[in-house]
Amino acid sequence: MFTQIKMVMTLIMVMGLAGAGVYVMKLRADNATLKANQVKLETAITEQTKVLEQQKKDFDAIMESNKKLNVLINTFKKDLQDLDKRFTKKNRDIGKLAIKRTEAIERIVNKGGKNAARCIELASGAEHTEEELKATLKSQINPECPALANPNFVHYE
Amino acid sequence: MNKILAILTIILLTGCSIGGEKKIKIFSVEKPREKLNYPMPTPLQMEEIFWHIVTSENAEEVFKKLEEAGIDPVLFGITDKDFQVLARNFAQIRQKLQETNNLLQEYKKYYEGENNGKM
Repeated sequence: MFTQIKMVMTLIMVMGLAGAGVYVMKLRADNATLKANQVKLETAITEQTKVLEQQKKDFDAIMESNKKLNVLINTFKKDLQDLDKRFTKKNRDIGKLAIKRTEAIERIVNKGGKNAARCIELASGAEHTEEELKATLKSQINPECPALANPNFVHYE
Repeated sequence: MNKILAILTIILLTGCSIGGEKKIKIFSVEKPREKLNYPMPTPLQMEEIFWHIVTSENAEEVFKKLEEAGIDPVLFGITDKDFQVLARNFAQIRQKLQETNNLLQEYKKYYEGENNGKM
């Protein structure tokens, strides 16, 4: 009888110890999994932060680009208005003027044509000349497209 | 002796598989798309033209000068109003060219970086 109780007790102890061992092993495995998860989460957060930063940079670049294009389109409108003004300023009639002062108007028209051709060259990507870059006075600029031809010219009356 | 023989036989039979098969690792590397890298369009080089202004008063003189210079005495004319229209049309073509070139530069700058956006 006593031997049987001893055996049962021993068995319980052995099973208890085995159970504890298994439990500890499970805890270790859980711990390792949690550590791995933690590393993955931290990596994911870093990646997300990078993505957000890149998105912000892209957004800023898009805004900047839009701003530049809007400025350009407004310049176009102003250039066309200025061109119209040159023909009609103070009820000017270029036809009548050409009859009265033929040679002078011929000179002006040819100079204008030359300037307009230069504007097309610049618009197609030609490099500015030193003279064009340095121009700051109305007498030095290309009046057909000052914003394009003379980037350092500030409009004044 | 038999025991040693048995152990050696086991080792011989299991061979290199004692350590188990090595696992194949598959990993992916992101390779960015190749850049298009077209050069920017070559700038235009415009040829010079001369505008003759012909009125009822100077017409004869203009044609005489043309003949003297060995040029056919013929002119392709437009009225003063059409000249304004022509000037406006050219201005619009130039603006469209500038706008398109600018867009191209902006696209290049955005997708290929700051240095590639320059002409």
